[in-house]
Amino acid sequence: MSLARTMPQTALRRWLPPASVIVPVATVLLTLLLGLVLIALTNVPVPDAIDAFIDGAFGSGYVVAASINRAVAYTLVGLGFIVAARANLTNVGGEGQIAIGGMAATAVALYGGAEHLPLGLAFLWPMAAAIAAGAAWGALAGILKVKSGTNEVISTLLLTFIGIWLLYWSVQSVSLLRRPMTTSATLPESLEIPDPARLPLLTGDPSAPLNIGLPITIILAFAVWLVLAKTVFGWQLRAVGLNERAARRAGIAHAGITVAAMAIAGAFGGLAGAVMLQGDQYLLKVGFSSGYGFDGLVIGLLARGSPLGVVAGALLFGFLRSGGINMEMVAQVPSAIVMVIQGLIVVSLAAMSFWLDRAKVMR
Amino acid sequence: MPPAPVEAPEVPILSLAGITKRFGAVLALDDVSIEVGAGEIHCLLGENGAGKSTLCNLIFGLFPPDAGEMRLAGLPYRPVRPGDALAGGIAMVHQHFSLIPEFTVVDNLLLGRERGILRRAAYSEKLRQLAAAYGLPLDPSARVGDLSVGERQRVEIVKCLVRDPRLLVLDEPTAVLPPDEVDAFLAVCRRVAEGGCGVLLVTHKLAEVKRVADCVTVLRGGRSVATSRRPAADIDSLVRAMIQRDLDTLDTAMASSLGMEKTAAVPAASRRDGARRSDALQIDGLTVRDAVGSLRLDQLTLTVGKGEIVGLAGVEGNGQSELGAVLAGLLQPTGGRLFVDGKEMTGRSPREITALGIGIVPEDRHAVGCIAELSLAENIFLNRIGQFARFGLIDRDTLRRQAQEMMHRFDVRAAGPEAAFSSLSGGNQQKAVLARELTIDNLVFLLAAQPTRGLDVGAVEAVYKQIDAARARGAGVLLISSELDELIAVADRILVLYRGRIMGERSAHPHEREAIGAMMSGHPA
Repeated sequence: MSLARTMPQTALRRWLPPASVIVPVATVLLTLLLGLVLIALTNVPVPDAIDAFIDGAFGSGYVVAASINRAVAYTLVGLGFIVAARANLTNVGGEGQIAIGGMAATAVALYGGAEHLPLGLAFLWPMAAAIAAGAAWGALAGILKVKSGTNEVISTLLLTFIGIWLLYWSVQSVSLLRRPMTTSATLPESLEIPDPARLPLLTGDPSAPLNIGLPITIILAFAVWLVLAKTVFGWQLRAVGLNERAARRAGIAHAGITVAAMAIAGAFGGLAGAVMLQGDQYLLKVGFSSGYGFDGLVIGLLARGSPLGVVAGALLFGFLRSGGINMEMVAQVPSAIVMVIQGLIVVSLAAMSFWLDRAKVMR
Repeated sequence: MPPAPVEAPEVPILSLAGITKRFGAVLALDDVSIEVGAGEIHCLLGENGAGKSTLCNLIFGLFPPDAGEMRLAGLPYRPVRPGDALAGGIAMVHQHFSLIPEFTVVDNLLLGRERGILRRAAYSEKLRQLAAAYGLPLDPSARVGDLSVGERQRVEIVKCLVRDPRLLVLDEPTAVLPPDEVDAFLAVCRRVAEGGCGVLLVTHKLAEVKRVADCVTVLRGGRSVATSRRPAADIDSLVRAMIQRDLDTLDTAMASSLGMEKTAAVPAASRRDGARRSDALQIDGLTVRDAVGSLRLDQLTLTVGKGEIVGLAGVEGNGQSELGAVLAGLLQPTGGRLFVDGKEMTGRSPREITALGIGIVPEDRHAVGCIAELSLAENIFLNRIGQFARFGLIDRDTLRRQAQEMMHRFDVRAAGPEAAFSSLSGGNQQKAVLARELTIDNLVFLLAAQPTRGLDVGAVEAVYKQIDAARARGAGVLLISSELDELIAVADRILVLYRGRIMGERSAHPHEREAIGAMMSGHPA
């Protein structure tokens, strides 16, 4: 390859963002365009649908904050996913880990004496409980894998069902988390957690309810990058993930690494549960998570190991979800179509990364 | 089946003209031209990395050439998948067997050949005919997993022959065979060629070329550097072309690794000086059963003294892998005990084994010896990356600098310490693994399992120089190899492993070659 041939290209490239940014953005835009065609086919006026989408995703401070809060939960689950994925472990148990974390946070916030703790411990203590519970739930899958070779995809998926049904049980039973039935409200849900246990709002403005979960998540995304790229532990995760046998021969404690990786993935899931509960929902009920764990898993997959990719994917999905819901409610776009469009985005992003890889190999 | 229709002699079965293939920055084949005629055995000779396998894979349709033309029986031939090669009458035996061990011989023949109802009887009959015609005795109903390596190779060849090929491509087929089976194999090649089929035989052993080749092409660095129609007469110039230096400068280990009949006449002075030194390694009644309960190692007992190289000869699959895995701490023995320098090491973890001063060069470099996706520096310090930790972060600068020193000391050639390990040649990869294992603190014992497999001549020399240096520093070395000539040239004494037991011991002297060969085939001395 001659220098003369590459020169004009590099000159042009200087003015453009790198291909790793342009291509995904273009892919998403093209897919959304295809989505509009689908919407037109359902006889919904396309301009109405677009209006509803933009209104739902960006229309006010409140919806923007809601979209970002969604993205925070997605990011947390996705970060856990890529940590485990670095050790070649696939954590599909985010949904269950969220449920376990939500339960732990609720229990501690309501009955753990968190309310009267000083210095922010009132909200940190339930969070810590959720992290610990999620970590234990994730570590369980790691231990099963190390001790008996159980595939972590199977075990985390089954643990998810157990987690979700434990949550159902806990909010159905008054001896667990269900609110006392003496009041008029008899829905299967917990009491609202007290104010001090809720995540402080960043602006203090309830019309844009961004909470402290956002900066915590940004710090954690940086920390994950640091651990994966720079530390001995991150290197060991990678070594075990690439070639477990060679890592074992080199004296790396692969069993410990496997359990730790799953525990970290679970801890992130648990934390996501705590942030959803303490920052947004304030009480535990049936359907507490409604798919955040699985969406986070998809985002983790699409990010292909990059914490920044997780954040980008989470923001995309956060705003898409908010806009999509509004499209459903206001413009009467069938919810099935909204789901189809989201599925198309996932598929086209996956296809895109496949083609990008191929192009790299060919070059 | 044979004789297949003989082509007109002036039209070669396969002709390649100006074939060029590039992988990224690497020019794997550069303007290579070769012709294989009907009824002739054409040997493709060259060191590892010379482009032999690339050429075979091109012919078999695994990837297309970047430039050049291939013709099959005079007609243009542009395969895009192995199916095209098979349809054109080209059959190939790969370096690694592609048989299903749980299946019988005849079921392996049926693989991919049949739809609907399996015609086992018809294929068994075909198998018997081929066996009689080519001298390939095989029991159609035997389970492949129960067969010896030589028999498995026969199955691979028969698998090709049932297709009535016009051209048979054999990629380093003799690497896995014991000495007496090599002869039988070469005889089969000759018979296949006599039937009118062209044979392209890839090898790096000159002795084989001398015995069967009608024509030889030597590849070096992707170029065809010599061709001869009288290989036996031109053997010296072929060696020069292959390794780019004179035969006289080869030391005995290298000469024997090439299969040259020039093995050590006088043992080195440092060898066999009698006095029994203290033991570096002692293995006492080691027994290993595999998952299904068959005995892989059976009451194996041996010792390796300090400052000696003990060669462990034997056909692959007789327990070498299990012994290596036990010594590496990757496999727990069913019974028996192991001691290193008098200290018990039975049941220790890999980390503890390294701490005891045991270096392991595993037989499967890719699966156990390295992590190919990591960098060279990371692989050199794979077992002690922790020493570069500063507050949990890896100090990349120090890592790079120390790796650079190791590269210099052990002559590991690469673009730099940050180069992907997979980008290194096999020889440099092995030198890096040796560098890591030989610099273990207080090295007492080194296991070198098949350390020169797949390496080119220069790398073989370097590897044995390092192993010899470790011995000179007082370490005991257990050298496992299926290349008997190499063991004779390098080891102080030779033990023979057969079906998980030690069949006997011989001094490493060329005139013991036959006796050792017999023991390798299971005949007690």
